[in-house]
Amino acid sequence: MRGNFGRILLVELRGDRVAVEHVPLAPQVYRAFVGGVGLGAYLLWRFAPPGVDPLAPAAPLVYAFSPLLGTPLTTTAKFAVLCKSPLTGRISDGLSSSRFAIAAKRLGVDAIVVRGALDRLSWLHLDEDPAACRAVPCPAWAGLSAHELSDMASKQGLFRHVSAVGPAGERQVRYATISNDGRHAGRGGAGAVLGAKRVKAISVRGAAVAGVADAAGVQARARDLAARSAGAATEKYRALGTAANLETFDRLRILPRRNFQTVSIGQAAARRLAPEGLARAAEHVRESCAGCTIGCDHRYGGTRVEYETQFALGPLVDVDDPSRLLAAAGACDALGLDTISVGGTLAFAMECAERGLVDWPLRFGDDIVPWLGAIARREGLGDLLAEGTRRVAAAVGHGSERFACHVKGLELPGYEPRAMQTFALGLCVASRGADHNRSGAYQADLQPGVDRYRADVARAPARVIEAEDHAALLDSLILCKFLRGAIREPWREGAELLTMVTGLSQGEGDLRRVARRIAAVRHAFNVREGWTLAEDRLPDRFFDEALEDGASLRRADVAAMVDAYHAARGHVPHGGPDERLRRELELDAWLTDTPPLQAPASLG
Amino acid sequence: MVTVELYGVPRLRAGASSVEVPAGKLASILHALASALPGLSPDIIRDGRLSEHALVAIDGREVVADPERVIADGATLVLISAAAGG
Repeated sequence: MRGNFGRILLVELRGDRVAVEHVPLAPQVYRAFVGGVGLGAYLLWRFAPPGVDPLAPAAPLVYAFSPLLGTPLTTTAKFAVLCKSPLTGRISDGLSSSRFAIAAKRLGVDAIVVRGALDRLSWLHLDEDPAACRAVPCPAWAGLSAHELSDMASKQGLFRHVSAVGPAGERQVRYATISNDGRHAGRGGAGAVLGAKRVKAISVRGAAVAGVADAAGVQARARDLAARSAGAATEKYRALGTAANLETFDRLRILPRRNFQTVSIGQAAARRLAPEGLARAAEHVRESCAGCTIGCDHRYGGTRVEYETQFALGPLVDVDDPSRLLAAAGACDALGLDTISVGGTLAFAMECAERGLVDWPLRFGDDIVPWLGAIARREGLGDLLAEGTRRVAAAVGHGSERFACHVKGLELPGYEPRAMQTFALGLCVASRGADHNRSGAYQADLQPGVDRYRADVARAPARVIEAEDHAALLDSLILCKFLRGAIREPWREGAELLTMVTGLSQGEGDLRRVARRIAAVRHAFNVREGWTLAEDRLPDRFFDEALEDGASLRRADVAAMVDAYHAARGHVPHGGPDERLRRELELDAWLTDTPPLQAPASLG
Repeated sequence: MVTVELYGVPRLRAGASSVEVPAGKLASILHALASALPGLSPDIIRDGRLSEHALVAIDGREVVADPERVIADGATLVLISAAAGG
């Protein structure tokens, strides 16, 4: 098999020591889960003790690579980071582009599993030579942003590519990110997990190459894919970036404002925050991720702005000044905060304050930059806000849970579910909580023939499942989702790419089963960690408060969609796969109760 | 007349944020739009039909694609990029 090394690196931390061990993986694992979020979900299942506290030393943090990583195929310089989320208590999987991805795979492994904890803040160096792996205490690096750290290390010749946490990760903010050469694995708090292990930064050194089975075929496909990536299907990302969504969504009345109280900021404000407005506020440059030919990375005054960041630090907290928004986005990058979760938590706190439930000095429209620092350092009220919306609501009480906008503890992304009722189902059932990346079901709501203001119990579950499975395919290969418009037949092309790279023949049907198996393992993980059907729900606001145009969700409809989704997925009512699904996807072979591997003997 | 509002790539390509065209079937409206704003051809409007890279919605609410669909006088069509992710 090419494209993979057939082994992972198990890293155990204890005291001031690091022990590493190469653990072989059978070829069947790669056939069953491919790589990325699929391989990572399997490894998380295997290595996480059931019921583990996400911030405890025993909780694993998984970096999962993919077979396409390291090939010349565009947008493949990515990896997945998985953990049990300290924000949700459920599975968390984030993706990140970066040169760190390419460098890390050259360790000669397909994944890194980090367990244990150090006793002091340290830099963890991982090397192709196990004897060269080490932890170096770095108390002077405390409080540095990942960017400052990277600059400093580069100038001192310590390392070139790094995966690191900012101040928020060090202080275990439950939605802290991991920054990888400036790109974040954002949602669910993986940064807090790394921070709890007292690892400030991970550097890597290796020269291993997994190779490909059909080099000429891969080269030809790489040229073809690069050409397609420069076409009309990706022009929005290239020319404007996802920031162009904001004005469009305002016009479609799906742009959440003021903690999901309304859906428009008005045309003038929307144009101020649109790419043209941001470019008037700060110098605009366009960059690309490592190994990417799309180039969607639009920066204003040096700060990268994506739609979700723009929504969460803008309309959601009622900020419509581009300079303030850019300052907040830059601060989140430096501090290592998930922009959606911090924006959602602040918006919730602002509404609590405006309703008089608390006497906090927070109001919609305030400059939030000082609050971001307080949260990242857990100072004053920031300490509570660092816990995320669900825990803040539990502390506030007085019925505030009604408008605490999260699912499973994860704050909602920037799409109004009352006006996108297929996506409402996607939000309810997504394994990592309210999520737009593991389920692109919002796309289904913007198709001809779909009434997005109506819950279609008969058809919405299949649409959500298709969107989830499509995302699982791209996220396990790994290919960027922004390429999806340029790949007309993703299952066929995915199978061809995988076969060319690995030499293992896989067809469309095999990959469809892989996607369903990934969904099944994610669900099984959540069930093992305490999932019940009751958590597949949206907050009361979306049922009890109609939008200005009368749109709202009906509880019975959403419950019926959720039930139909689980039935279609093959889940039994109390959670977990039914007998047919277990057989079809051979789940009993994968969802074993085998205890996780023990620490390497060298730790004693 | 029908007002067509343009957002995202369609606006960038057209160099206009809004245009008025005669009411009628969606096909005739798209023909008129392509004539009025040549920058929309061929990536947004191709052979009188909307390409897969764009969507059009009546008043931003109902996405329509049927070329025979009659768009009433006084209506507003919203023309957007098809890729919605962010």
